[in-house]
Amino acid sequence: MRIPCPFCGSRDAHEFSYLGDATPRRPDPAAPGAEAAFFDYVYLRDNPAGAFEEWWYHAAGCRQWLKVARDTRTHAITGAVLARDVAAPAAPTPAGGETAR
Amino acid sequence: MAEMSSPAHPLSHTRPIPAGHHGRPGTAGVVARWREDLAIATLAARHGGEAALAAAMDAAFGLALPAGPKAAGANGVSALGLAPRRWLVLASQRPALAAELAGLGGGAVTEQSDGYAVLDLAGPEVRAVLAKLVAVDLDPAVFSTGDVVASSLAHIGAVLWQTGEEPTYRLLVGTSFAAAFSHTLLAAAAEYGLDLADAGRGPEAGRGTGRG
Repeated sequence: MRIPCPFCGSRDAHEFSYLGDATPRRPDPAAPGAEAAFFDYVYLRDNPAGAFEEWWYHAAGCRQWLKVARDTRTHAITGAVLARDVAAPAAPTPAGGETAR
Repeated sequence: MAEMSSPAHPLSHTRPIPAGHHGRPGTAGVVARWREDLAIATLAARHGGEAALAAAMDAAFGLALPAGPKAAGANGVSALGLAPRRWLVLASQRPALAAELAGLGGGAVTEQSDGYAVLDLAGPEVRAVLAKLVAVDLDPAVFSTGDVVASSLAHIGAVLWQTGEEPTYRLLVGTSFAAAFSHTLLAAAAEYGLDLADAGRGPEAGRGTGRG
């Protein structure tokens, strides 16, 4: 499996470390229902068969976090962007939510 | 030195292979030389300060910082793009490089001169040997002079820079990996023959690569 690092180019997956689902956003601890939202955020994950967005760390290359779009059925990787370009503060959404982007 | 590198020695892998000819007799397919005369520093632009740093580097060295995994050089100073807004800067005969870079005020600077062991590589089979070690396409159609790759070679983190068309390369590994890497290089290059030269800077030539 090769991952198209936006900076380094196409690299073998062994250069990367895997973190997991890139969709959960840390909830607002001051909001009503924060406890339930945090339970969701910390423990609950979707396990989709198909398109998935996940964090990878390019440890052996540019040492940047990437958000990689991968199909969990085929391992086809359809894109990767630098986390620094997409991880700007976003509205909190529960883990496993369908609208978290 | 040679006796310390005997395969029979239980700690032979902790010593770099000695200078001299290794592997297949005859004309060496790979010619390698340790470099000890380079000042090295990492340079990282502060958030939002990339333009100011680029301008300061241009003013100080006449050097345009590359935007991607490329090398740019001017006036004996080279900058290698390692990551977004981060470069490895190398200079010969400029021991105060890190201080000079810090004096620019536009970036975060880390002195690395003793952190990296540097090998200059040439020879007719050098591309074939490196192709065994790095999982990146080194074909001249996609990797040519001025291209830089930060990757791992035999599980050793390394920066590889094609410095010339012949081709020639400069390779940097962490100082503490220099010995292990020298054995890896020999394993890969033995079938073509390897000529390895010391840095040749007098009694201190072995400093930093653990030779001795």
